[in-house]
Amino acid sequence: MKATLLFTAAAISAAAFTPVMASDYPNRPIEIIVPAPAGGGTDNVARMLNQYLEQELGQPAAVLNIAGGGGAIGVNQLARSRPDGYTLLSTWNSPITTVPHMQRVQYSYETLTPITSTSQSAYTLCVSPDFPAENAEEFLAELQANPGQYTYGNDGVGGTMRLAAERIFDAFDITARPIPFGGAGETLQNFLGGHVDIYGGSITPVLPYVEDDQTKCLLVTSADDNEALPQASGLAALGHPELETVLWRMMLGPEGMDEERAEVVADAVARAVEHPEFRDFLTAQGETLNLVRGEELRDRLRLETEAIGETLESLGLKQH
Amino acid sequence: MFESLLNALPVALQLGSLVSLVVGTLIGILIGALPGLNPVMAIALMLPLTYGFDPIIALGLVAGIYNGSMYGGSIPAILLNIPGTPAAIATTFDGYPMTRKGQGGLALKTACWSSAIGGIVSALALMMLAPMLAKVTLAFGPSEYFWVALFGLVSIAVLVGKDISKGMLSALLGVIIGLVGVDAISGAERYTFGTLYLVGGFELLIVLIGLYAVPPVLEMAEKRNESYFNADSFRVTAGDGSLGLVRRYWRTWTRSSVIGVCVGILPGAGGNLAALLSYNEAKRRAPDPETFGTGNPVGVAAAESGNSADNASAMIPSLTLGIPGNLIAALVLGALMIHGLQPGPQLFTRSPDVVFGFMWQLLLTAMLLLLLGGMVATRLFAQILRMPTALLVPTTLVLMAIGIYTVNGNVTDLYVMLAFGLVGYLLNRLAFPLAPVVLGVLLGPMAEQNLRLSMLISQNDWTVLFTRPISLGIIALLAAVLLSQLWKALRQRRRLSEA
Repeated sequence: MKATLLFTAAAISAAAFTPVMASDYPNRPIEIIVPAPAGGGTDNVARMLNQYLEQELGQPAAVLNIAGGGGAIGVNQLARSRPDGYTLLSTWNSPITTVPHMQRVQYSYETLTPITSTSQSAYTLCVSPDFPAENAEEFLAELQANPGQYTYGNDGVGGTMRLAAERIFDAFDITARPIPFGGAGETLQNFLGGHVDIYGGSITPVLPYVEDDQTKCLLVTSADDNEALPQASGLAALGHPELETVLWRMMLGPEGMDEERAEVVADAVARAVEHPEFRDFLTAQGETLNLVRGEELRDRLRLETEAIGETLESLGLKQH
Repeated sequence: MFESLLNALPVALQLGSLVSLVVGTLIGILIGALPGLNPVMAIALMLPLTYGFDPIIALGLVAGIYNGSMYGGSIPAILLNIPGTPAAIATTFDGYPMTRKGQGGLALKTACWSSAIGGIVSALALMMLAPMLAKVTLAFGPSEYFWVALFGLVSIAVLVGKDISKGMLSALLGVIIGLVGVDAISGAERYTFGTLYLVGGFELLIVLIGLYAVPPVLEMAEKRNESYFNADSFRVTAGDGSLGLVRRYWRTWTRSSVIGVCVGILPGAGGNLAALLSYNEAKRRAPDPETFGTGNPVGVAAAESGNSADNASAMIPSLTLGIPGNLIAALVLGALMIHGLQPGPQLFTRSPDVVFGFMWQLLLTAMLLLLLGGMVATRLFAQILRMPTALLVPTTLVLMAIGIYTVNGNVTDLYVMLAFGLVGYLLNRLAFPLAPVVLGVLLGPMAEQNLRLSMLISQNDWTVLFTRPISLGIIALLAAVLLSQLWKALRQRRRLSEA
C-alpha cells in the first residue's frame, strides 16, 4: 500500500515536471510491453526492432514481456497505463482483432492509439506431392468436390491461421475438417507423418520441404502471391483479395496518447526498419515490411475485427 | 556423414566456442540451481547479445546453459528438497533423504556424474542416429501420443507406493489443475470462473514451483531451532571413487539414458517425464524397491541421467526436421534463422560445420559438467547448508518469487505460487504423495487432447487406437508393467499368508 502511494506520488510529480511538448519527446527511457513470453516470434521481432528503435529515438527502450490470456493480459496493462508515450505496445494482430470476440477485455481497436504497423507474414496451405491438384484452383475444386473428407492441421481454435482458412473455405463453399494443434511445429510434424492431409501454418517451417519436393504449397492467405512459394496463389489471383488474413505486427499506445508523440514513434520505426540487418532478419523470419500508420491503421484494425467477428460467429465461437 | 562430423570438431574446439561453453555451463548451473529461474528465459535473453558473433558462439552458450541447468536443478533438489527446475523433481525423492542422512556430498557427486553420462549418451545419439530417430518422431501421431501419456499415468501406480487411494486422489487433483483454461479443441473455457487470468490455464512452472519448492521452505522455517542438517553431510567417504560410481551405476545409467533419449525425440514430452519414467523403471528393477524414497543413490542416478539424456535428443526433431522438441530447441531454431541458416532436412548438407559443431558442443558441455559441476559448483553450493535457517528461508523465498515474476511479469503469478505452496504443504502434512499431482498436471491434458485429436481425425472410429503398430507396442509395454506389478503384489501376499 505504502509502496503504491509512494509510486503514485512519484508518478504524479514526474508528470507535473514533464512538459507536454512533442519536441523533447522522448527524454527518458521508454517501456515496450510485448504481450507474449520471451523467446517467441513476437518477442524476437520486437527485441530485434527495439535495438534499432532505441538508436532512432535516442532513448533506451526496455521490452517487458507480459504474457497470458492470448495476449489480452499485456494489452490490458497497456490500456491502463498513462498515455504519455512512455509505455507502448508491440503486438501481433490476434490480441486486438480476435481475442476481444472471445474474452472480456478492457480495450478495443477503437480506444487504443494506433502508431504504426511494422511487418507481416502470410499463412499457407500445403499438401503431399500425390494430392490430386497442382494449383490453387484445382486444390479448392478438389476440396469442394469432397466435403468433410480432408483434414487440415491449424494453429488452434480461434487462432488466426484457422480463421484465415475458414474465411476462404466459407467463400468457396468448402467443408474441410480442422484439426487444432499447438502451433506450426506440431502441425508440420503431423502433416509430414501423414496424420493430417493438409498443412495449415506459417510459411518458414515448411519451406525446406517445398525445396525438397516433399510437399507442394498451393495457397497463401495474403492478397499477393509469395515469391518463396511459386506454385501457390494469393487471394487476389483467385478473385478474392478481401479475404486476406495474415499475421501482422504493430505498435500501439494507450487511449489518449498525444498524436505528435505517436508520429515521433512512427517516424523512428520507419527509419529503424531501414537498417539492412533488420531487413535480413525479417526475410529470414519469412516476413515482409508493411508500414501503415495513424487512422489508416485503425481502419485496417476495424475491417479485420469485423471480418473475424463474422467468421467466429458462423463457427459458433463468438462469445462477446 | 562421419567425415562432416570429424570436420566439425575443430570448429567446436576453437577458443571462442570453448569460452562460450564454459561461460554457458556456469550460467546454466547457476540458473538451474535457483528455483524459478529457468533456462528458457536465460537463453531468450542472452541470444540477442550474440547476434553479432559467429553462430557457433551463440550455440555454445545455448548448449552450456541447456546442459548446465539440467544438472544445476539437482543441487537445491538434493540439498534443500527444492527442485531447481521441473525436471529435477524426481531427484528430490532420494537426493534429499540422502542429505538428511549425511550423504549430501555423495548425492551431489552421483547427480553430477549421472547428468554428465546422460548428456553424453544423448549427444552421441544425436550425432549417430539423428536422421533415423527423426523418422520415429514423424511416426508418432495423436493416437501414439495418447498411449505414451497413458503409459506415464499408469506408472503412477508404481510411484505411489504404500497408499494407492491417496496416490490416485493426488493424480486426480493434478488432472483437475491441468484442465483449467481454454480447451484447445472446442475453445470452451473450463473452470475459469470468468477471470481472464485463468483463461490460459495454470503455467506448469508456477504450479510445480509452488507445490514442490514452497513446502520445504515452510518446513525449514518450522524447524528453525533444531539443527536441521547433519554436520557430516559433505564428507564423501572413501570407496566412493569415480570408478566405484561407474561400476555401481552403469546399468541404471544405460537404462535411464535410453529412456531419456526416447522421450526426447517426442516433441512436447520433456525432461520431467524422462526423469520420472527413469526413476520408476529403476525402482521397478531394483532388488530393494522399498529403499527408494529413503535415500537410495540409485534413485538419484536414474533421475539425473534420465533428464539429461532428454536434452540433446530433444534437438533431433528440431535439427533434422525443423520441428522444435521443446522451447529451448525453438530458440535454437530462431538463432539459426537469424544467422541465415534454414532449419530442416537441408541443414546437414548446407551448413554441416554449424550443425555438427553444435552436436560436439552438446557433447563437450556434458563432459564439462564433471569438471565444473563436480569441482566448482558442488563445493560452492554445499556452503548453502552452513547458512542459518533464519537467513536461508527468506532468501530462498525471495529468489523463487523473482524467478516466477520474470516468467510473465505478472504479480498474480506470485499469489498463485503461494497458494499452490499452501496446497503442497497441506498434502505433505496429510501424507498425500506429490509426484502423482505432477504427472496428472503434465499427462492428463496430454492424454485427453491427443485422444480427442485422434477421434477428430478418424471421425470417432476408436479402432485407430488399436490398429497402429507403434500403438500396439506401447500397449504391450503398458500391459507388461501392469502385469509385473500385479504378479509382484500377488507373490507378496502369498508369502505373507504362508508366513
